[in-house]
Amino acid sequence: MNVTQDLSILSLITNASVPVQLVMLLLLSVSFMSWLFIFRKLFAIRQAGIQTEKFERDFWSGSDMNGLYQSAVNDRHRAGSLERIFEAGFREFAKLRAQRGADPSIPVEGARRAMRATYQREMDNLERHLSFLASVGSVSPYVGLFGTVWGIMNSFRGLANVNSATLAHVAPGIAEALIATAIGLFAAIPAVVAYNRYAHDIDRLAIRFESFIEEFSNILQRQSGVGK
Amino acid sequence: MTVAAGALPYEEPGKVSSAVLAVLVHVLLALFLFFGVHWQNRQPEAVTVELWNSLPAPVVQRVEPKPQIKPEPKPEPKPEPKLELKPEPKPEPKPEPIVEKAIEPPKPDIALEKKKEIKKEVPKKAEPEPKKPKPKPKPEPKLNLDRTKDIRAQLERETAELNQQLEKDRILDQMRREAAMFAAKADAAYIAKLKGKIKSNIVLPPDIAGNPEAIFDVVQLPTGEVMSVRLRKSSGHKAYDAAVERAILKSSPLPRPDRPEQFQRGLEIKFRPLD
Repeated sequence: MNVTQDLSILSLITNASVPVQLVMLLLLSVSFMSWLFIFRKLFAIRQAGIQTEKFERDFWSGSDMNGLYQSAVNDRHRAGSLERIFEAGFREFAKLRAQRGADPSIPVEGARRAMRATYQREMDNLERHLSFLASVGSVSPYVGLFGTVWGIMNSFRGLANVNSATLAHVAPGIAEALIATAIGLFAAIPAVVAYNRYAHDIDRLAIRFESFIEEFSNILQRQSGVGK
Repeated sequence: MTVAAGALPYEEPGKVSSAVLAVLVHVLLALFLFFGVHWQNRQPEAVTVELWNSLPAPVVQRVEPKPQIKPEPKPEPKPEPKLELKPEPKPEPKPEPIVEKAIEPPKPDIALEKKKEIKKEVPKKAEPEPKKPKPKPKPEPKLNLDRTKDIRAQLERETAELNQQLEKDRILDQMRREAAMFAAKADAAYIAKLKGKIKSNIVLPPDIAGNPEAIFDVVQLPTGEVMSVRLRKSSGHKAYDAAVERAILKSSPLPRPDRPEQFQRGLEIKFRPLD
């Protein structure tokens, strides 16, 4: 072992001990999964934002509510979260108002409950996989650290058999071991950044949904008052 | 129907494209690590380049001590001029005399005087070159062929000059060789310096029989710090081996050579207890 030996990434990985290699493999697959979800959530949240924007514009531009409801029912597959919330609330309101003679506040309360339920479902869908990103961000550095500690333990054990210990004996082993930490951090850093970013985006969407629910309830209440 | 309406299967957009992007990110990272990062692989080459650049300098500096060598090569050229003279004069003198003899008759006295003067001058000029005058006196008495002899003398001078140049080249070659030798000697001086320092740190064990030799391989850093000491050939006396090894480690940092290009990473040092 001399100092000028090849320290390229490839040789470092192939020379590592089996547990360290396993750790690296695990971290690599975790990193791949986390990047997969990062991109999927990126597309999903961006799309949800665009759809919400569009529906809010349509809704507040004073178009006919029945027309909006019909379009929402017709292409349900392309509808955004806010559109689905509106659809559920309007349907419930229309059904309850059809049953005449009841307290005028009942249709509004029913519509609000229906919208709440749809809102919860939509939020659940938006937040799916975010917990995975959070776990990757918090756990993978430790997994990498485990691989590093194991590799350093090994390299020091090998050092025990040598008479005169020099840095050249330990350095390659430590470099090998540190690769594991590097991979762990490579997996963790984007996951943490993405998790924080997406959590923030989803929070903002949730606030928009909730305020829409409140405002739409007000509109319905006014309509039921007019109808009475 | 209405109840189930809210529970549409949720489909995230861009599943395929996100998978492709995730693969792309990892491939890019791998490429960057393999081709973008070179960890210390190139350093040894840079070191050798520096060594070669600085080697010519000592050759130039050691030009003065070489005059001592000149006497040695002089005996060598002697056979050579003789060899070269024989072929050269034969073709050249023949055409020239014909022309000159044709011109000579009209002005005999002056020409003779001039010839005499030239003859006198020739030996004078030839004197600094030690071996050439000796053959000349013998042809001189024969006189009448005078001009051709002058020309021969000239030729001799010219060939002698040529030979001198050849000599110079040879001497330069030798100088270069000597410079290399000198470097080796300086190396020996460096080794001696190293051994001196290490020896001062050796605590000789009391019961050594004879004068056994121990050979050590020492690896040092450019600063002279000892990185590793390995016993290559034991002296047969374990206490002495251990004492020398301790002394080498204690001598760290080792003395550095006078010229940095003499530095060697790996040294082979021999020790004898009675040195």
